[in-house]
Amino acid sequence: MNGTSMNATSMNGAEILAVQGLTRIFGGLTAVRDVDMTVRTGEVVGLIGPNGAGKTTLFNMLGGSMPPSSGTIRFDGTDCTGAPPHVMGQRGVSRTFQITSLFPSLTVLDNVRSAAYRTTTAGWGAAILRTAAFRRQEAELKRKALDLLAFCDLEDRADTLADALSYGEQRRLEIAIALAAEPRLLLLDEPAAGMNPEEGQRLVEMIRRIRERGVTVLLVEHHMRIVASVCDRLVVLDHGVKIAEGPPAQVLNDPEVIRVYLGREPVDA
Amino acid sequence: MGHTVGMAGGVAALCVLPFLAGNAYLEHLLALWMLYALLALSLNIVIGYLGELTFGHAAFVGVGAYTSALLSTQLGLPPLLGLPLAAVAAALFGLVIGYAALRVVGPQFTILTLGFGSILYTITNNWVDLTRGPMGISDIPPMAIGPMTFTSARETYFLILALVLAVGFLCHALVNSRTGRAFLAVRENAPLAASLGINVFHTKLLGFVVATAIAGLGGAIYAHYIKVITPDIMGVQNVAALIIVVIIGGRGTIVGPILGALVYIGLLEALRVAGPLRMVIFAALLTGTVVFLPGGLVSLWQRWRTTHKADNNLPAGNGVPSAEGGAE
Amino acid sequence: MDVTVFAQQIANGLVNGMAYVLIATGLTLVFGVLRIVNFAHGEFYMLGAYITYFVGTLLGIDYLAAAAIAAVVVAALGIAANKLIFWPLRRDHEFTILLSSLGLALLISNGGELLFGADPKYVDSPFADEVLDIGAITLTQQRVLVFAAAVVALIGVYLFLRYSRFGKMMRATAQNPDGAALTGINIKLVHGYTFALACGLAALAGALVGPTVMIFPTIGNWAVLKGFIVVIMGGLGSVTGALFAGLLLGVIESLGGGYISLGFMEAIGYAMIIVVLLWRPNGLFSTARGLR
Repeated sequence: MNGTSMNATSMNGAEILAVQGLTRIFGGLTAVRDVDMTVRTGEVVGLIGPNGAGKTTLFNMLGGSMPPSSGTIRFDGTDCTGAPPHVMGQRGVSRTFQITSLFPSLTVLDNVRSAAYRTTTAGWGAAILRTAAFRRQEAELKRKALDLLAFCDLEDRADTLADALSYGEQRRLEIAIALAAEPRLLLLDEPAAGMNPEEGQRLVEMIRRIRERGVTVLLVEHHMRIVASVCDRLVVLDHGVKIAEGPPAQVLNDPEVIRVYLGREPVDA
Repeated sequence: MGHTVGMAGGVAALCVLPFLAGNAYLEHLLALWMLYALLALSLNIVIGYLGELTFGHAAFVGVGAYTSALLSTQLGLPPLLGLPLAAVAAALFGLVIGYAALRVVGPQFTILTLGFGSILYTITNNWVDLTRGPMGISDIPPMAIGPMTFTSARETYFLILALVLAVGFLCHALVNSRTGRAFLAVRENAPLAASLGINVFHTKLLGFVVATAIAGLGGAIYAHYIKVITPDIMGVQNVAALIIVVIIGGRGTIVGPILGALVYIGLLEALRVAGPLRMVIFAALLTGTVVFLPGGLVSLWQRWRTTHKADNNLPAGNGVPSAEGGAE
Repeated sequence: MDVTVFAQQIANGLVNGMAYVLIATGLTLVFGVLRIVNFAHGEFYMLGAYITYFVGTLLGIDYLAAAAIAAVVVAALGIAANKLIFWPLRRDHEFTILLSSLGLALLISNGGELLFGADPKYVDSPFADEVLDIGAITLTQQRVLVFAAAVVALIGVYLFLRYSRFGKMMRATAQNPDGAALTGINIKLVHGYTFALACGLAALAGALVGPTVMIFPTIGNWAVLKGFIVVIMGGLGSVTGALFAGLLLGVIESLGGGYISLGFMEAIGYAMIIVVLLWRPNGLFSTARGLR
């Protein structure tokens, strides 16, 4: 697409996220046990596993909203273990949430503009003085935000309150919000939840285009069809332990993975 | 464009108003209106933009009022110097109190601010050596800028009007900047805001401190205008009055608090004959507004505009109003 | 330090503290079960004191009977307040609920001023002037009654919550409102009962404390503030927390008033919550959801 994304794709292969020995204990229950995993720049990695496998707990630790009991998280070479959410956000890790999460009484455009906090610098002071840098930044911000809305098929909804969008539109707005922060790594938490097959297919297309923008993606997802068609690599968790890892075709035919999923959902890859 | 014309018209009207008043008492009411508008605008930063309900705002008005009053009566400092010092003093209190209270959110924050406000009230009421306790401080000199003194209601009106316009502009710049959008993001959805790199605590603290500084400024102006202050300025009634003004006018907007202050002062005066019934009516108005018109009076105008705009972007007419008030 | 004076201060503190516990128990119940922070709670305390005054002093009915009547009437008012304001708003944002409870508080306190007048009233009680000596400690019988009646009422509340059908329903609702509704518990009824109990306790506190002080229509402000300090300190929703925090606040205020300064006594209480909250942001006894 643009210059920076070309750059990022060409760097494909460098480790952007490295997780080592990550463990989270709640009281006596170990939700995530000793998980090692890496994500490389430009990859789309799927995190799968049955309900209660510890996927969301792992996600929360990566996003900073839950400190790990032990283990380390390195993002882009820097140790981020236990960093709070806003620090992870500032460093370039954006996330979506399982339950629809946006800024309900702001317009769609303002949702995206608010989300671009990380990419802007001129703040209140500059706004009071109406400096040239501020006006340039705001014009640029608006253009980028409208681009992003177009990217997510929301351009004709720019002035609508987020509250008033349909469910599918709200889920796309969530992705627009996460992308507005221009993340290096995007964590998608069950983006296809509640979607019909057609919307799911649209989502697959969108994730592919997100990757083309140079954003690395890690997603938790239940829909195997989506995972299989969009991910380069899968990591499978069961009872908090990593039981398999590899390309979708290989992982989804792994006897252990099939055993874990048996009777839950057909594995079709 | 329409907005600019409307605003210019509004400002012009505000400038002409005292000349139409015709008597000193009406001018006094106009000055009080502006004063409440200024204080409500500051409270609106916390209630409207940050979405946290504070019950301690009047205490900061009091800190400002006492700071400037004491500096001018005890140390003979010119009120013009006392004004910024009052804002600084209130902001310092705001910083310390905000730092402690903003660790919790929602009802707990509200209760904590009520507690902090009560501490400041109690101290003011009991530290007789400094504040003269319930007797209050009297003979406070009037505001003066060089040879210009602000003794009359009309002069004071223009002084506060200038401040209201300035603070209104500050708020407008705020909500249209990165900083203000962070405020709104925190109000709307704090976990999401944090995931986007916004430091929720610092954002709230910034808003709280700015709001308390403006409250302190308003308190100082009040002290130099009325010339007598007592601890009642920090009391629960004053807290309630400011909240009523913001909610009835429309929180999260710039015109709302100014309009709310007009309604408050106007009704207070119109209902003078009703005596204690006044506050009962205000309480009923507050509850009624909260339940039936959560966006306040301003949302009536917004509602009217959207129904007359007949396009397909029908916003849900509920909950919190959008940031952009009407004052653009 | 004089031991007698010290013991006297402790005794005074425990009596005041017990009154705080009565007020705070209702607040914390309403929060625990309904998730409502009710700023109007203190007004029910005020109404309790005034109704005792009117029924007792003006109608000449016996003080204890008057206090009981006040508690029952205010409990009914609590049900009405819930029905008119809080139940319809239960799905609304907490901001709306907080503000409407503030509106209700202003409505009742200013309405009270309108009806009762702003001048102080004195609640008559046959126990107010009789003194009781316990060792070296001297208390009026009324203050002993405050303590004793509060203890009895709290034990009653404890037994009610623990063993009665409604008490069990309240606890179930506190733990998981949706789950409780699924098991067929009538949530609306639970809300009503909780309000009745909470307001009745506040009124009882008002009726008991009334004869030891002057009463004004604005004492609700004072009561709700004390209640909040206790509830925040003990942990929102924790009944046990309210008991300990209430007694602690009473004793600390009393000692502070006795040894430091009477004027700043109130400020000491507020300063206490701040220290507690900086140390434990969710209060001394708060953990997960539910009534404890």
